[in-house]
Amino acid sequence: MAAEKSLALFRSRLCDTRFVHSAFKSSPESNYSKLKFLISSSISEGCNNSVLLLGPRGSGKAAVVELVLEDLKMEHPDAISVIRLNGLLHSDDNSALKEIARQLCLENQLLFSKMASSDDNSQFMIDMLRECGLAHKGVIFVLDEFDLFTQGKQRLLYSLLDALQTLTSQAVVIGVSCRLDADQLLEKRVRSRFSHRKILFIPPPADDIQRLIEHLLYLPRESSFSSKYVSEFNSRLSNIFSDKKFKEILNSLLDVDGTISNLLGFLFRAVSCIDMDSGFLSLENFKSAHLCTQRQPKIDALQGASILELYILVCMERLEFKEKNSYNFTSIMKEYKAIHDAYKTSDNYANMVCLQAFEHLLDRELISFADSKGWNQPIEFRPVKLLVSAHELYHGLKSNSACPAILQKLFDHESYK
Amino acid sequence: MDQTPAKSNSKPSQKKSPMSEPATPRRSLRLRSPHPKYTQSSQSPTKPKRPLPVSTRSPSFSPITPNPPESKRRKRSNSSDPKPSASTSRTLKRRVYYKKVVFDGGEFEVGDDVYVKRREGAESDAEDPEVEECRICFRTGGTVMIECDDCLGGFHLKCLKPPLRKVPEGDWVCAFCEAEKMGKVVERPKPPEGKRLRRTAKEKLLSSDLWAARIESLFREPDGSYWLRCKWYIIPEETAVGRQPHNLRRELYLTNDFSDIEMESVLRHCYVLRPKDFKEASNDGDDVFYCEYEYDIHWHNFKRLTDNDDGPENNEAGNDETYKFANDLSSDADQDSEYEEETTMDYSSFKNQSHELAANSRKGRIFGLQKVGITKIPEHVRCHKQTDLEKAKATLLLATLPKSLPCRNKEMEEITSFVKGAISNDQCLGRCLYIHGVPGTGKTMSVLAVMRKLRSEVGTGALKPFRFVEINGLKLASPENIYKIIYEELSGNRVGWKKALHYLNERFSDGPEVREEENQPIILLIDELDLLLTRNQSVLYNILNWPTKPNSKLVVIGIANTMDLPEKLLPRISSRMGIQRLCFGPYNYPQLQEIISSRLRGIDAFEEQAIEFASRKVAAMSGDARRALEICRRAAELADYRLKQPLESTRMSSSVNSNSKGKYLVSMADIEAAIHEVFQAPHIQIMKNCSKLGKIILVAMVHELHRGGLAEMTFEKLATTILSLCTSNREVPPGYDTLLKVGCKLGESRIILCEEGTKHRLQKLQLNYPSEDVAFALKDCSDLPWLSKYL
Repeated sequence: MAAEKSLALFRSRLCDTRFVHSAFKSSPESNYSKLKFLISSSISEGCNNSVLLLGPRGSGKAAVVELVLEDLKMEHPDAISVIRLNGLLHSDDNSALKEIARQLCLENQLLFSKMASSDDNSQFMIDMLRECGLAHKGVIFVLDEFDLFTQGKQRLLYSLLDALQTLTSQAVVIGVSCRLDADQLLEKRVRSRFSHRKILFIPPPADDIQRLIEHLLYLPRESSFSSKYVSEFNSRLSNIFSDKKFKEILNSLLDVDGTISNLLGFLFRAVSCIDMDSGFLSLENFKSAHLCTQRQPKIDALQGASILELYILVCMERLEFKEKNSYNFTSIMKEYKAIHDAYKTSDNYANMVCLQAFEHLLDRELISFADSKGWNQPIEFRPVKLLVSAHELYHGLKSNSACPAILQKLFDHESYK
Repeated sequence: MDQTPAKSNSKPSQKKSPMSEPATPRRSLRLRSPHPKYTQSSQSPTKPKRPLPVSTRSPSFSPITPNPPESKRRKRSNSSDPKPSASTSRTLKRRVYYKKVVFDGGEFEVGDDVYVKRREGAESDAEDPEVEECRICFRTGGTVMIECDDCLGGFHLKCLKPPLRKVPEGDWVCAFCEAEKMGKVVERPKPPEGKRLRRTAKEKLLSSDLWAARIESLFREPDGSYWLRCKWYIIPEETAVGRQPHNLRRELYLTNDFSDIEMESVLRHCYVLRPKDFKEASNDGDDVFYCEYEYDIHWHNFKRLTDNDDGPENNEAGNDETYKFANDLSSDADQDSEYEEETTMDYSSFKNQSHELAANSRKGRIFGLQKVGITKIPEHVRCHKQTDLEKAKATLLLATLPKSLPCRNKEMEEITSFVKGAISNDQCLGRCLYIHGVPGTGKTMSVLAVMRKLRSEVGTGALKPFRFVEINGLKLASPENIYKIIYEELSGNRVGWKKALHYLNERFSDGPEVREEENQPIILLIDELDLLLTRNQSVLYNILNWPTKPNSKLVVIGIANTMDLPEKLLPRISSRMGIQRLCFGPYNYPQLQEIISSRLRGIDAFEEQAIEFASRKVAAMSGDARRALEICRRAAELADYRLKQPLESTRMSSSVNSNSKGKYLVSMADIEAAIHEVFQAPHIQIMKNCSKLGKIILVAMVHELHRGGLAEMTFEKLATTILSLCTSNREVPPGYDTLLKVGCKLGESRIILCEEGTKHRLQKLQLNYPSEDVAFALKDCSDLPWLSKYL
């Protein structure tokens, strides 16, 4: 019972980005407080601003924006309207303007017309900015995937940033992008109007990670859980945290990818493995979660491959080793027959069967066509490429229990002589 | 204060106002205030309400007629004048509009603010003291009086206890109010027996016994009576939210409620001032009020008043002369007249319309925008005292229009002489001027400043009137749309671009048309001219061809960044563009410094060297004034941030004693940080902070680059390098797929350039930044010291 409840609590915590990022709310150095100061000061002082949030994917840019906006909405009720655009959806200037007009209408309970031309929409946007500015209302534009807005003539960005240069408007443009060179993509006129504020999102340092994990996994003292369970749970957890093994696991995880989203994925897995009988987290949970993150899909795919598929892969590898740059199914079959003739293996299959195995490999993306040309040719004649490196193939063959010894020997013979 | 309004009906002073019951609330009173016959027909409460101009237009309107179609309404909104219909009305007489009326000894002008009598005999105007009585001795005149900022009571300086020598600086609150604030019950001095406290018009207004209004227009009815159309003011108590704590005593709101009232009911002048003027005119008399906001009576919300819509602009019509409302749809078709009609409409009638109007479409835009407003003026706006840093931030905003434009005098003179030369002679030969310069050198701003100056010269009569049309090439949906916009600006009609081109061609080649004001010279400013380039360059050709037509009276000013735009064009276009060019060079550092310090004059927020540093840095990089201002603003923001973070500031004040409390100058370090943020690409920091594996990948790429000399490498090759690096340095070798994932992540943030991950071992990768940057970032990496070996 308690286990289910705590599992539900953890899951809701880990999926709620606001809760996750509220761990860093208090520190003045955090991006949260920097961004919040920027927006709130431009709202309270009635000025315009533009800022770019940069950082790798999963570093919590959008989540921090959401958190800040939510808090500001609490502080300044009905003085803020937020317009959200996404570069993947609105990179076309006309559709973006239309979307802005739609959201502005929605925020202010005005009637929106789909039929309005883009000139009308941009005029409406400018008028609305003016009116909102006069009414002490701030308009915040959040442009997600900012780099995608820089395609084309950048009319949207130009008119948006140009509108910010009038005294009456009161707007903040927040660009969110994972491309570090996003501001270099701007056209020179647009760049001159952009106010080059950048907030960089970098993976948190180790002690912040530690704090974040504690913030996420400790059970709250005052809750519906029994206090005995809570204290027992928390003390066990702190034992795990101080364990050397746990630190190793954590380090090897963060060595690969130190972003917050990666950590959250790991913790979610660990929490999902919780022992439902006792209701306590153990080190084993973290270990199995770590194993999950370390899977190598290509090698796994090789483990599940049939013997004939392995033959084909080895043949391709041999062909590449012989520095044949271009080969197709027929040349692979030739090689296959040659192996068969030389070693007299028992695995002799008909052409049709081999073709089926070949198609199967194509589907699993272990091999692929070399180019997109000739898509109307029959499969047998299109040039193909091996997508698995020799190293991986070697490990794959070794780990596949059904692999015939001759194949391994052949492979050893070929490449590791 | 005795604020019970005396309701004695003893002194009927007004001769002809058939007044309704005195107890009705204020607004309904207004609506029922006497109107001439034709307005009454629609304003009587039984009939559906309808926009006023409609009723004035055709007096015989039956009440059930549906609202006129949209097109009609629009047209009318452009000439909000009942004249054409009035001439067809029964009386066959016209309303005569005036700009100034001398009535009952007072001179009233359009745009003035006046007191208006509220109701019949509430308190006669017989006692209308201009001067207030002292609240202690109850006598007027004598020595200097001082006003309490809380209860607005007046006091003789000598009557106070203790008496004051002179009027103190800043706010002053009388002893009674102070005591009341402390929670004590105070007995205010009562007037001597037999003498009633006379209330000034101000007090009556503030206790809603009088109205204040702004005159929008003055006219004489056919029957000879004088009327005025006014916009009402409202006191904070009468708004939906009531008086808010931050409201000033003398604060009024301008409403969007119009009425026609008779001249008779006007009492005298009062002065409602904007915040800026109010500060300056602090001791101008008793009838001064403060108005910062407009109040919407339908939606009960507030909006700041802008500075420019101060009073209607009337270019024509002198004293006692009929307004000439030409059917020229453009010159007067400004926002004001549209609003006027809009706001007189009753909203409920309009909700029930079958076709509701969308706010974002052209026709509907005027509907609904007044809905935008704040229901309560936020406190932080009013009560906040700006610190020096905040002032500096505000004045450094790009949007803030500086009082003067330093450093561009020569260029502005040149533009002025060009424009004057082009329009002052009668012939007005069309001419072109091409202005070029890098972004942020004040091109558009200078032209606009020149235009403002010239317009004021037109106002004084030194220059012939002209029309100014401004178009931005980047804001056009397509280059051809420029015809549409020019035509709309000139004529007010909206047509397709082909038709517009046709009309414009006709207009510019056929020469003067019948009407006079159509024949004013036109100055066309095209910003970002290079955006108008089409494949056959026909748009530019057309636009630059018009000025050469003998009767076009068109002057074109083009602005673009590139210096050699004329050379890039077809010869027939560049020859029409002429040879007049004007170059705006990038600012050098003394100029930038002057620009910044001229904005910051009087604000003590920046160290002198800090400004110099910023301007030198920007001048060296680009000479972009926007950039320089933004850097300074960012620096001020950083300083402000540090000041406002509670933890930090305590540390600050303890460590740095020289900075006295509340005073903090923007230093070199702040500028440095701001410049760093603006100019330095963030990739070094990201490289320093990326994951271990990411660092190894970067180092391996550099290693591979040095070894092979080829910038591009395949994933397979890179992976083998990484594995060998890891094994020789006792790192756990990562799996290929993990490597691929991390590589793709780096590719997403464009630290490396790579193909999509599905290509797996055939994926091609390349460093996006020079290998020296990687070496610099990862040279002394604490958790992987062996990396430096390979760099």
